[in-house]
Amino acid sequence: MAIAKAERLMNLALCLLGTRRPLTKRELRGSIEAYLEAGGAASGGNDDAFNRMFERDKDDLRELGLVIETVEGIDGEIGYLARRDSNRLPPITLDAEEAAALGLAAKVWQQARLAGAASGALQKLRAAGMPVAEDPYDTQAHSALEPHIPVHEAAFEPLMLACRDRRPVVFDYRKANAARPEPRQVEPWALECWRGQWYLAGWDRERAAERVFRLSRICGRVRLRTGAFTAEVPDHVTVRETVERWSGETATRTARIRLRSGHGYPLRAKALSTTGAGDGWDELEIPYGHGLDAWLVEFGPDVVVLAPDELRADVVDRLRAVAKG
Amino acid sequence: MAGNAIDQTRRMLSLVTYLRERPGARVADVARAFGISEDELISDLDVLPLCGTSFRGGDLLDIDTDGDRIWWHNPDDVAEPLRLAADEATALLVAARAVATLPGLRESDRDALLRATAKLEAAAGEAAGASARLSVTFESEGGVFADVDRAISERRRLWLRYYSPARDEITEREVDPIRLFAVGRTYMEAWCRLSEARRTFRLDRVVEIKLLDEASDPPRIELRDLSDLSTGLVQTGAEDPEVVIEVAPGGRWVAEYYPHDSAEELPDGGLRITLRTPDPGSLRRLALRLGRDGRIVSPRGLADSARDAAQRALAAYGE
Repeated sequence: MAIAKAERLMNLALCLLGTRRPLTKRELRGSIEAYLEAGGAASGGNDDAFNRMFERDKDDLRELGLVIETVEGIDGEIGYLARRDSNRLPPITLDAEEAAALGLAAKVWQQARLAGAASGALQKLRAAGMPVAEDPYDTQAHSALEPHIPVHEAAFEPLMLACRDRRPVVFDYRKANAARPEPRQVEPWALECWRGQWYLAGWDRERAAERVFRLSRICGRVRLRTGAFTAEVPDHVTVRETVERWSGETATRTARIRLRSGHGYPLRAKALSTTGAGDGWDELEIPYGHGLDAWLVEFGPDVVVLAPDELRADVVDRLRAVAKG
Repeated sequence: MAGNAIDQTRRMLSLVTYLRERPGARVADVARAFGISEDELISDLDVLPLCGTSFRGGDLLDIDTDGDRIWWHNPDDVAEPLRLAADEATALLVAARAVATLPGLRESDRDALLRATAKLEAAAGEAAGASARLSVTFESEGGVFADVDRAISERRRLWLRYYSPARDEITEREVDPIRLFAVGRTYMEAWCRLSEARRTFRLDRVVEIKLLDEASDPPRIELRDLSDLSTGLVQTGAEDPEVVIEVAPGGRWVAEYYPHDSAEELPDGGLRITLRTPDPGSLRRLALRLGRDGRIVSPRGLADSARDAAQRALAAYGE
């Protein structure tokens, strides 16, 4: 039976952490049982299986935070080691309150990779002496909050890694009103979750401009491209401002509407002014941003647009489409 | 969790550090500190004695357990606390920042999060850098949040005026809060004394809120898993009426926002979406919103009511 991967990785990690001098691939192969098996008769006796496994294992350990140095010896042979001082967690002292706060934060992730990373981080901190909360987060002493970050999009993980490692990507993207998806070449900068939806900001190579993409509109796989970024990454990436503009939250104009009394609370909550108009109607002045026409139509006969004319025409146009059935 | 070799390796590396400092640690305590089951811990303890600290071989970790306590007989200085990986720092920092900026959170919790964040950033060093490439904002109505939080901790009933978009009306009700959760926006799950049922309230739709002196007394109900909730807060059942909507490409967003049974591609790039809802009337607003980008195919009555509402609305414009 093949030796479990966790056992193999653990052995490699301990060998690299335990040595004071670089170990060659040959030495490592000679001392880790799983590598001896991988180079054995079962794999055809060649080195490929072992080499592939060894490279993958080093990558996996690096993902876990291990700094593995590659050193060329006098004889030209490559050696590896994980120095203690570059792998040690700097001293960190967290009190019980801080530990409880981080415990709450760690529960935020449902996405497998980040959930695993969050519990891994807590385990490292515990091993370094972080206190364990006596009670599970109790609501007498702390806010009674269960925060969750939803991640349903398959594109999330590859994009997270691409942002982290600054790797260009290609994906098919269907714009909100497009019939077909189109390929986009993007240098991904940052991911942001707002109102439960994930967005990506980055440099669109073909359009030679910054763009924001909604992850739920990415179709199929996200493919990594080789090579480096061509555009400079801004110090401050603003996803949220762009998305707020899409959702009409950055209105610069206002509109006047009539609203039936007792109806349209969300419109009233946003109103700049409200006055009685008699006969069971009120007159409101509200911010006029992107998408207001569609929103007003939802209220059907309880809303009448007074001004501007352009908004009035848009609403009438939408109502006509529905009235035709 | 045990199925994932990466997570298990990560855990075992921390485990040896932890065990070195705590000879004779109890299985139950270690499992709790690591957030795993005792069975998972035992399976880690089965692997560790097969792992070695020296390339010469034969130098294996002599760790064993009698099922109650764990002993490491040849502790090695290889077991020092390890630095955080980029993903680890990111997972904790992004989450801590998101929660710390939630309006209405108790100041003591916010302070603890901010202190912990600063210490983590310092300890993570370079690994903290990538955490700026991921961010999350939870939206919340601070005042409402604080009142619900207080009601839960003091076990008090709440009085609400709550806006229901489906009926475009505000209702008054008394509720016994059960929990407060954030999934993008912030919600309260409560036992509604008006409908004698479990209800989820979105905090930004709470028009007015008051803490009552009466004790809250929600029936003991099984809590739903929040990861299921985030795909659709409205719980729909197989017995709910079925609604079929056809949308043009411009209405494809409906499939992103409404939990549905199926969404078939149409030749024009649109979708035929089948969904279930306990309250089909609430979809009249959707039909109005869609305009020329979509229409309700069935049930007929719902399609008629949207058309009727549009005709009545047009009358006000002289049509």
